Amino acid sequence: MNFTIDDELGKRLAGLRELGRARIRPLGVEADRAGRPLPPDHPFFDELVKLGLGRTRWPGPADDSARPRTGARQHGSGDPSGMRAPGHSVAGCLVSEELAYWDRGVAVSFPGPGLGEPPLLSMGTPEQKERFLGPFRTPDRPRWGSFAMTEPGAGSDVAGIRTSARLDGDCWVLNGDKSFAANASRADWIVVWATVDPALERAGHRAFVVERATRGLGDFKIEKKMGLKAYESTSFTLRDCRVPAANLLGGETHYARQAGFKGAMQSFNATRPMIGAMAVGIGRAALDAALEFARESGRLDDPRVRDRLERIERRLRAARLLCWRAAWLADARQPNVLEASMAKAAAPPAALEATVLGMELLGEAGGRGDHPIEKLFRDVKAMDIVEGTGQIQRVLMARQLVALPRD
Amino acid sequence: MIDLSLDPELELLRETARQFGAERLRPRAREFEAARGVDDAARRAFAEIGLAAAAWPESLGGAGLGALARALVLEELAAADAGAALALDPLGPAFHALAELGEEAALQGLAAPLLERPGARAVLAWNGESRVELRAGHASGVLPWVPADRVDLLVLLDRDSAAVIDGGIARSELRGAALRAAGASELRLERAPVRAWWVNPRAARRALARARHDVASLLVGVMRAAAEFSRAYALERVAFGRPIAHHQALAFLIADMATAVDATRLLVQEAACALDRGEEADALCATAFAEAAEQAMFVTPNAVQILGGHGFMQDYPVEKWMREARALGLLFGGVDAAREDAGRALARRAEPLALVAPP
Repeated sequence: MNFTIDDELGKRLAGLRELGRARIRPLGVEADRAGRPLPPDHPFFDELVKLGLGRTRWPGPADDSARPRTGARQHGSGDPSGMRAPGHSVAGCLVSEELAYWDRGVAVSFPGPGLGEPPLLSMGTPEQKERFLGPFRTPDRPRWGSFAMTEPGAGSDVAGIRTSARLDGDCWVLNGDKSFAANASRADWIVVWATVDPALERAGHRAFVVERATRGLGDFKIEKKMGLKAYESTSFTLRDCRVPAANLLGGETHYARQAGFKGAMQSFNATRPMIGAMAVGIGRAALDAALEFARESGRLDDPRVRDRLERIERRLRAARLLCWRAAWLADARQPNVLEASMAKAAAPPAALEATVLGMELLGEAGGRGDHPIEKLFRDVKAMDIVEGTGQIQRVLMARQLVALPRD
Repeated sequence: MIDLSLDPELELLRETARQFGAERLRPRAREFEAARGVDDAARRAFAEIGLAAAAWPESLGGAGLGALARALVLEELAAADAGAALALDPLGPAFHALAELGEEAALQGLAAPLLERPGARAVLAWNGESRVELRAGHASGVLPWVPADRVDLLVLLDRDSAAVIDGGIARSELRGAALRAAGASELRLERAPVRAWWVNPRAARRALARARHDVASLLVGVMRAAAEFSRAYALERVAFGRPIAHHQALAFLIADMATAVDATRLLVQEAACALDRGEEADALCATAFAEAAEQAMFVTPNAVQILGGHGFMQDYPVEKWMREARALGLLFGGVDAAREDAGRALARRAEPLALVAPP
C-alpha cells in the first residue's frame, strides 16, 4: 500500500500549480466578475496550445490499430482502447483536483475534445477517429469538442432523451433541444445523443457527431449560472438538422452489436472519481482561504474556529481517498461501480461543507460577495449534480449493495 | 505511486485474523460479555497464531510488521468482538507507550515478563487532564474507567511523559457501558509507587498517535460489522411487500453507511502507511480517530434503527456494537482532544492538503 505521489507526476502537478497560480485562478476571478465565459479567442487558450495542452489522447491510426481493443465497450470509462497509460485514472484524479483547486470553471474551458473524446474513442470507427480526433493530435489553434446528452426534460434519467433521429436517404435528420453542453458554441463538433424510437428507451439511443455550422444546428444560448462562469454551459436546438450517415458514431453495426445505450453500462468508471476529485480541489481552495482568513484575523486561537477547519480538512481528506481508491480500481481493471459512486456521492457534500463553514468563518464579510470563498460556495454546488446527482449515485450504490430493483 | 493493493503477507494476516474472529470470537461474544473475559482456550489459540505479536518487534517475539498490519488485525478482531480484541492482547495500546518512551529496556524489563504470565494485562490510560497526579515518585488520583478487570501494569500517558505503575492500584469493578469482555474497572491510586517515568514529549506524541490509531482501527471493525449485519438483515426483512432494503430511504442509508466505513478505513490505512514510513503522523492519526469515532456514531445507531425493535434487543448483536462504538471513542482523550490536536496541526500549515509541496 502506498499513498504517495511519484516524482514524475509530482513534477507535472508542480507545473499545473504554477500555471494555476499565475493564470488559472486570476482568469477564474475575472470571468466570475464579468459574469461570462472566457471568449474562444482569449490569448490564454493559445498559450495552452503552445504548452501542448488541448490535445487528444488518441495516439493516431498506426498505434490505434496495433493495440488490442480491450475495454472498448467501456464508454465513459476514459479507457477506450487499452491505450491508456498505467495509472491513468489516478493521475487523472490528481490533475483534476489540482486544476479545480485553482479554478474549476477555467479548467473546463480548456481547449480539447472534452467529454466528446471518450465516446469517440470507445465507439468511433477508425475513419471517425481520424476525422474528428485527428485535428486534436497537434492542434494548429485552440479547438474544442463537446458532448450533448442532457435535455430540458432528461437529466439524470438519460433513458428519457427525446431528441429524435430519423434516417432519410444518406443522412440522419435530428430534431430536439439539448441543454448544458460545455463549450458547445465554440466546438468543432458536438457528440449528440438522440433516439430512433423513445419507446425503445436506451436501446433506441444513437450518438452522432454534429459538425459546426451544420444547417439546423443553432440557437446557441450560453446559460447564466450561479458559479463556474469561466466556461460556457450552452443550450442549443437541432431543427431538421441533416447529419451525414458517416457521422453516426460507430456506424450501424456498433448499435446492432451493443443494443444501443448498453455501451454506457460498464463494470468500471473513471469519470465519477475524477468529478469527485474536482470537488475536493474546490473544497481545498476553500480550506486554504479559510485558514488564511483565520490566520490574518488572529482567530486561529479560537477552538471553535480550529474545529471548523479540522472538520473541513478531515472530510476532504476522506473524500479524496475515496476518489483515489475508485480510480486505482479502474486502473487495476477491477469493478468499481460501487466505489466510484461512493467517491462521487461523498466528495461534493464535503466540498460544499468546506465552503459553507468557510463562509461562516467570514461572518458578515461573507455577505459582501467579493471573497474567494463566496465564489467557491457558488461554484461547488454543481459537483453534486453533474455526472449523476448524489441521489443517482446512491441508487447505483444500492443496486450493488442490496440489489435495489430498477422499477 | 498511489497503490492500494495489500502485500500477500498482509493479505494472509488479515485473512487469518478474519477467520479467527469469525470462528472463535463472534459466536461466543455474548458469552464473553457475560463472563467479563475470554477463556484460556481462546487466549491460547490467539497467542499461538501470533496476531497480537504481528506488530511487535522481533526482540519481543513479534514479527515487526508495523502499523498497517496492526490496523488490519484490529479491524478484523473488532468486527468479531471488540471487547475480546482488547482482552486477548496482553499489552494492548500500552505497548506503544512502552516502546516509544521506555524503548528496548522497557520492552525487555516490563513487557516481556508480563507476557510470561497468562491472563496478565497492561493498560494504557490517558492522563492528559492530570486526573492522576505524579509527585515525588508516587501517583495519586482516580481513573473513572479502564476496559480491564485485571491491571498488572498501568501506563499513564500525558502530552510529555509516560509513567509506569505496577502496584498500589485499588480496583473497583464496574458494570461497564460496553467492551465487558475486556472487563471494566475504576482505578484508584493513593501514593502508588511509580516504577518508571520517562519524560519525552515527542515520544509521548507518537505513543498517543499510535494508541489513537489502534482505537480507530477497532472502530472500523465495529462499524463494519454493524453495517454488514444490518444490510443483510434489510435484505431478508420484508415490509410493505418488499425487502426493507428496497425502500429508498433505507437503500440510501445503507449506501451512506458503507461509504462511511470505507472512507474511515482509508484514513486509518493512510495514517498507517505514514507511520510505517517513519513519518510524523500525529495529525493523521488524530484525524483518523476523530473520523472513526464520529462515523461509528452514524453507522452503529443506524444499524440498530434498520433492525427496528429487534435492534434494541440483545438477541441481536447490533445494540452491542452501538455501545462499543460509543465507548471506544471515549478513550485516550476522545474526539475533542483528537480534533484539538488535528486542528492545532492544521493551524501551523498554509496548504495542508496540497498535492505537491508549495514552493
